[in-house]
Amino acid sequence: MGAHHAAAAARILDTANKAGAQYADVQFWTIRQEDVAVRNGDVRDASDVSSAGYGVRALVDGSWGFFGSDRFDNAALDLAAARATALATSGTKVNDRILAVQPVEKIVAHYETPMTKDPASVGLSARANMLLAAERGGHVAKNVISAYAFMTIYTTAKEFYSTTGSAITQVLRQAGAGCGVSALGRDKDVQTRGGPGDFALYQGGGYEVVERANLAALTPQYGREAVILADAPPLPSGVRDVILDGSVLNLQMHESIGHALELDRSLGWEANFSGVSFATPDQVGTLRYGSELLNIYADNALPLGMATVGYDDEAVKPKRVPLIERGVLRAFLSSRDTAAQTNLPETASVRAQDWASVPMVRMTNIVLVPHEGTLASIVADTKDGIYVAGMRSWSIDDHRLNFQFGPQIGYEIKNGKRGRIFKQPTYTGVTPHFWGSMDRVGGHEDFQVWGTPNCGKGEPEQAGRTSHACSVARFRNVTVGVKTDA
Amino acid sequence: MRDQDRALSLAEQVLKAAAGADQAQVTVTISDASYARFARNYIVQNLGSVSTQITLTYYAGKKSGSISTDDASPASIARVVAAARDIAQRVPPDNGFVSLPKPAAIAPAGRSYYAATADATADDRVEKLLPIFARMKSSQLSSSGFTTTQINTVAVANSLGVRAAFTGTMSGLQLKAIAERTSGFAEFYAPDYSGLDPAAVAERAATKATISREPANLAPGDYTVVLEPSAFAAALKALTEGMGADSVLEDKDSWMVGRIGRRLFSPNVTLRDDWSHPLFANAPFNVNDGAPTKKLTLIDRGVLEHYVSGTYSANKYHVPNTGHPNFPANGVVEPGTKSREALVASIERGVLISRTWYERVVDPRQATITGNTRDGVYLIENGTLTKTLKNFRYFVSMIDALKDVELSNVQVLTEPDSDTGYSTVLPDAKLAKYHLAAQTSFA
Repeated sequence: MGAHHAAAAARILDTANKAGAQYADVQFWTIRQEDVAVRNGDVRDASDVSSAGYGVRALVDGSWGFFGSDRFDNAALDLAAARATALATSGTKVNDRILAVQPVEKIVAHYETPMTKDPASVGLSARANMLLAAERGGHVAKNVISAYAFMTIYTTAKEFYSTTGSAITQVLRQAGAGCGVSALGRDKDVQTRGGPGDFALYQGGGYEVVERANLAALTPQYGREAVILADAPPLPSGVRDVILDGSVLNLQMHESIGHALELDRSLGWEANFSGVSFATPDQVGTLRYGSELLNIYADNALPLGMATVGYDDEAVKPKRVPLIERGVLRAFLSSRDTAAQTNLPETASVRAQDWASVPMVRMTNIVLVPHEGTLASIVADTKDGIYVAGMRSWSIDDHRLNFQFGPQIGYEIKNGKRGRIFKQPTYTGVTPHFWGSMDRVGGHEDFQVWGTPNCGKGEPEQAGRTSHACSVARFRNVTVGVKTDA
Repeated sequence: MRDQDRALSLAEQVLKAAAGADQAQVTVTISDASYARFARNYIVQNLGSVSTQITLTYYAGKKSGSISTDDASPASIARVVAAARDIAQRVPPDNGFVSLPKPAAIAPAGRSYYAATADATADDRVEKLLPIFARMKSSQLSSSGFTTTQINTVAVANSLGVRAAFTGTMSGLQLKAIAERTSGFAEFYAPDYSGLDPAAVAERAATKATISREPANLAPGDYTVVLEPSAFAAALKALTEGMGADSVLEDKDSWMVGRIGRRLFSPNVTLRDDWSHPLFANAPFNVNDGAPTKKLTLIDRGVLEHYVSGTYSANKYHVPNTGHPNFPANGVVEPGTKSREALVASIERGVLISRTWYERVVDPRQATITGNTRDGVYLIENGTLTKTLKNFRYFVSMIDALKDVELSNVQVLTEPDSDTGYSTVLPDAKLAKYHLAAQTSFA
């Protein structure tokens, strides 16, 4: 990957400048997404999607404009620069606006996501046959009605140029793989068990991520559990101690911590769609977010992180920033503009989905610092509780407070031992109260960098890639088994 | 329709280059979309983009490979064909694949292109927002939302002779008016941007935001509710996402399984799929494969009649091809007879829900959903909105909830769904029993 678009960038930046932009930048993207998906012995998807384009940002009197295009002739380059500048200029008609920050740095750098196995070294038929074999392993009983397996490999080359002279090239790689098995119960109920993680393992890296997911080892287990779930009772209503597997805990972090600490949301920029946050900048240093065991940091250079970059999409270099320390709010995920408005640190959390999408604050990589003990030891330490794993449905309000999660499987724990299996083990809570009830956080033995490739935010909606690294954790006195009637 | 012609021409070029395939399908999409997003009464993101995407699916018997690109150059087309052929020759088969659709008559689309939308500039969109900001400031309100104008084109061509192309415009405005402790919501969607009256939208949102200064508590429980169209559309999705042949015949986890032909809902509930409804600007064919879309009555006066299918599942399961993706893409709920006001006036004590958020299906067999109210939920007492309430989490089986329904006499085009990209046309719904499971601490 080199600086293939330097000349086009110079033309765009010059055009924007002449049209009235006081600052402009342009990022060229070459995107590739390779997918293979199998189901019930058939290859349902073998696709290779490529896209190349560029997004221009122009700043006029503190107002941003953005325009994305996949047309590369000179007229199209000029038009994109002109339209970005016109969009920025139109925003200046609004009085009483808060002025955006004009970047001043010149950064020249290159970054590539490390990988140990180049996806190009694994042929398509080998990928498909691996998935087919894994999927076959899930058909463990006659009432298994379907099984699936899939993998996705993302490769993104970016070139960023700005009117301050920045020139940043990056090659970012992520991959993921997942599988699942559905079984039909005697009452025609269908239950699905899948994973790893909430629905797959997604990490930064190359084909080694697919191999790390180890689907062939998982499908027989998922098949056996799906068969049990199909005829299992639902989790009875009550108040129980709950142990969240990493496959659930990472999504709990995503929804009730990561999103809640996006600074643009907290400032009201996302109020119409993604919502706001109960956490606000004036509460930094005082808001009790959770128990003393709740230590969360952002790190967009995290090894294996889906959001790991050399620089974010407004040319900010990642650093490790504590967000919550010993349960107390310390910082937010920010952009240049939101950090400047609040005097909080920049966290290199600005991302765009692609060249056609405006860069914005995203949840990127967040980490729950591991503490001590294994899943087995925490189960052994639990007298009366539920251990839940996998994910079916999840929902949280637009202030990131009241949530209801529905994992795939619940194991009853009595006197330190796993017992009956329950289907639909829903639980509900309120964010600070729930995290305040966390009395055990597992150690490094069960620690995993989980990720998701499709976190939704923005209008039009953009899919973001995020990671949430964690072990396992226990929460006391949680409301479980939510019912649809009073 | 220059984009429509260009898209079809591109599709033809790629198809010609893929002449060696047993079967081949090319889809071309062209988009030109702009958004002005605002918060705190100024524009925080002002953006636009143009894009073209070409997708070739190349079949070698039951084996297939799919390649997408946005590079329409001859060299790129040659690369796309070679790569798709390469995949199709190397991967194992999909034994469920029978054939792409054969050519069939596609009805002409209704009017779907409006110059006021297609030609809108950045300044035009900002001009629509200025009266909104002025109205908000006059009541010490803040705001959040966006306005958008879009031109969307799709063309599908296949080696069996299918040729289908469509261009439509769409415009919208969403506005959340924000008071210190309460808020109000209003929206507008239409293919024609000239129909947008921003002052009227601002007035509706501002009025709702100022019904109360402080939100009130209400004990969780079962209530009669009125779902405004935005909230009703989200709840209805619990049903429509289980109405595809894949869900019914392959996944077998749809709420429709074992219930087709039964009277499940109130006689007031009729759900049709009709791409030609005048509020839509929708394609008259399945954009996934170019087969003509049939107009269907899916729920007829409470009786469950049909699911929908695309070519793949229709062939695989030997059911009629209705020309849909795996869900009803053009849902229309027939209106009732009462005005919105009369619907509210008929309730002695209940709750009006403007909009919902993060709705998820918890149990697909019962179409059970959970989600949260947002941006305005109000207590109805003796037929009048008396108080703004704090928000609720609800947990409801839509099969149960739609057993006792009254519908208003309005029909509204709602926001395109974030998962499917499709809108629904529907009225307000009064549901006799809706379970509000928990209340939050805010409005």
